[in-house]
Amino acid sequence: MPRWGAAMLRPYGIGCAICFLAALAASGQEAPAPSRSVWDGVYTEEQAKRGEEMYRKECASCHGDALVGGGGAAPLSGGTFLSNWNGLTVGDLFERIRKTMPQGALGKLTKQQDADVLAYLLSFNKFPAGKTELQKQVEFLKEIRFEATRPEAK
Amino acid sequence: MFRSMIREVTNGCVIAGLLAGLPMVAAGQWKAKDTEWPSYAADLAATRYRPLDQINAANFSELEIAWRIKTDNFGNRPEYKLEGTPLMVNGVLHTTAGSRRAAIALDAATGELLWIHGEHEGARGGAAPRQLSGRGLAYWSDGKDERILYVTPGYQLICLDAKTGTRVEGFGNKGAVDLKQNDDQEILPDLTTGEIGIQSAPVVAKDTIIIGAAFREGMTPKSMRNNKGYVRGFDVRTGKRLWIFHTIPKKGEFGYDTWLNGSAEYTGNTGVWSQITVDEELGLVYLPVESPTNDFYGGHRPGNNLFGETLVCVDLKTGQRKWHFQLVHHPMWDMDISSAPILANITVDGKAVKAVALPSKQGFLYVFDRVTGKPVWPIDEKPVEVGTVPGEWYSPTQPIPSKPPAYSRNGVLESDLIDFTPELRDRGKAIASKYHLGPVFTPPTESKLDGPLGTLTVGTASGGTNWPGGSYDPETHIVYAFACTACAEPIGLVRAPKTVSDMNYVAGTAGKEVTILRGPGENAGADSPMPPKQRAGSGYVALNVDGLPLLKPPYGTISAINLDKGEIVWQVAHGETPDVVRNHPALKGMNIPRTGQETYNIGTLVTKTLVIAGDGQITTTTEHPRGAMLRAYDKQTGKEVGAVYMPAPQSGSPMTYMVNGKQYIVVAVSGGAYSGEYIAFSLPAAE
Repeated sequence: MPRWGAAMLRPYGIGCAICFLAALAASGQEAPAPSRSVWDGVYTEEQAKRGEEMYRKECASCHGDALVGGGGAAPLSGGTFLSNWNGLTVGDLFERIRKTMPQGALGKLTKQQDADVLAYLLSFNKFPAGKTELQKQVEFLKEIRFEATRPEAK
Repeated sequence: MFRSMIREVTNGCVIAGLLAGLPMVAAGQWKAKDTEWPSYAADLAATRYRPLDQINAANFSELEIAWRIKTDNFGNRPEYKLEGTPLMVNGVLHTTAGSRRAAIALDAATGELLWIHGEHEGARGGAAPRQLSGRGLAYWSDGKDERILYVTPGYQLICLDAKTGTRVEGFGNKGAVDLKQNDDQEILPDLTTGEIGIQSAPVVAKDTIIIGAAFREGMTPKSMRNNKGYVRGFDVRTGKRLWIFHTIPKKGEFGYDTWLNGSAEYTGNTGVWSQITVDEELGLVYLPVESPTNDFYGGHRPGNNLFGETLVCVDLKTGQRKWHFQLVHHPMWDMDISSAPILANITVDGKAVKAVALPSKQGFLYVFDRVTGKPVWPIDEKPVEVGTVPGEWYSPTQPIPSKPPAYSRNGVLESDLIDFTPELRDRGKAIASKYHLGPVFTPPTESKLDGPLGTLTVGTASGGTNWPGGSYDPETHIVYAFACTACAEPIGLVRAPKTVSDMNYVAGTAGKEVTILRGPGENAGADSPMPPKQRAGSGYVALNVDGLPLLKPPYGTISAINLDKGEIVWQVAHGETPDVVRNHPALKGMNIPRTGQETYNIGTLVTKTLVIAGDGQITTTTEHPRGAMLRAYDKQTGKEVGAVYMPAPQSGSPMTYMVNGKQYIVVAVSGGAYSGEYIAFSLPAAE
């Protein structure tokens, strides 16, 4: 049986560990809050429909067709989902999808398809549709706040 | 090159430990100090208790992060579901980590990485039913040798030298035992893809390693036939198999006749995926056995199905059954036995009882005399609803404990629905009207478009107390257990297309395409290849009202249960009120007491004075930024006495230890956007 011996693990040297911790500390820095939120119509209905089709193909087997998870797979609707992402940005959620999904088939979906699925998640969670599509560049998506509840009218 | 990265463990920590006076017992047996945490749940009795008090009510909120370690690089992708609880012996912290399920050793005072060991299992690891980092590992020593034992995702038992992280050559096959072999069954279809594995930590007692088995989520299996989850004992020195216990009896063995129509021959699962506990003095092992094949439909396995959802006591030396108690006859709710049995020496009506207490998903704390298996308080067979799903076999009664009272909601009636306002109550009732409701043990229904869509349950698949189990204070004889009291689970059954499963029924919702549901972590480990294309569809329906939980608060609780009296001493909502509740427009102006949180993976830690557990969800409040709090409660009263900020929810149960005169609390956090991290807290240095 092929295996790792401890002797093979050069990448875990002390130097790297320190770099890693430094990077981690840096990632905790607060960025200025973006001005748009998920309540501002950040995707289109058509995009959400495309996303639903992709969701059914690639996501529903674990997360369920009503997005409440299954057997412990993370819910993508309801209180736990909203709590998990409240206060972050749509870009953060996009990155999580890009980094880990679909399980066991990383990179199977294009950025555009991920953005479409994300539009579907927003639609399913009753965030309003708008006139422009959700973009696929993470930098742009990080400009959209994820807010669990609708902000009060100013 | 290998030596260069290993801190001088042998010269430093270990010798320091020996000088400090490691207690030695007869026959070279080694015994841990109560400042250490030598086993997954603190000890073999699964107490999660250490009599430490440096961190206490007066200073808990002053805790600072002593060190932290992300697990992203212990595998080829990050993981967001870090469930481990480390061990600490001789100043070294051992745990599993990352999508590789690497075994790592850290300096317990500083978090410095001392060594790492990982197994590249290729296709076998990629096909494993239980992937990611698992829950932990086991430590063994005879006072001289020190060994670490863990099970890989591909179901190999690995034995490492605790000082160096290298395989112990004399154990099994060069340090590994292939658990898919020598199991009194042929693991099908082959050793690479054959479904069986485990994510829990092994247990070692008196030189015997005990290993259970786990499988894929059992809601929509492809077949009524599956591999079986037997339990085995192995010699810690050689890796030789010492015994096996057949959780589904073979022909001629006790219990075989509880599987009618010969269904014991082909039914599978029925493993022990939760933690196993051992009374070394009595030489007895306590096995919490899970559900048989198909969590929610038992039509292909008529009969009571021993030892499904049964607490089984076996002999530590032979694996022979001493006694058993089936908690659920003919299981069909995925109640499993989720939690480690807790060993407790209690006093009931003036008599000393060596007891075993078992928290459960169904919110009952089952208490038995652990020598005889006799319930400490009567557990009577009570009539329960008999269902109507074609082909299903129903037990007309189920055992229901008379004491202690249920500590978690275990059935859904209309009175359990959301009732913040009349409008919300009406909307909740409208959702619930699509389901069959009832108390504990209300059976699943066939899902129909014109209703019911299924049975609306709580205290089943993910309710009550799940895999983290409870804690126990041996001084006060109190069990502490978190429970999800609002984890509603609709259980509907649909006819399975033959292209999906050979079972008559699997979990699903009428009108939805049936597909195989997968569990968290499956196909997510470092060896996972591209999966086959999945078909759309699944079985659950949203159960919230504008993001608000369908059931009324509390959503999650910690209960303190006195085992001498069989009474609940206190119960508190655990976890900050979720943002969606606190900020909900429909609840504006209302004064809602803390609700706790819907989550199923919270474990508790007990110290000399405190019960400690973290939030399971992220919140953002005026008191703290976006994150989760690690909370301390006065263990006598349940009053919260302190809290400290964490960047992500608790996802593995906390543990504690003392090293160099300082107490530490280590907890695994992860979830949402935050990948796995172990964080160690301690008090700030004196100013």
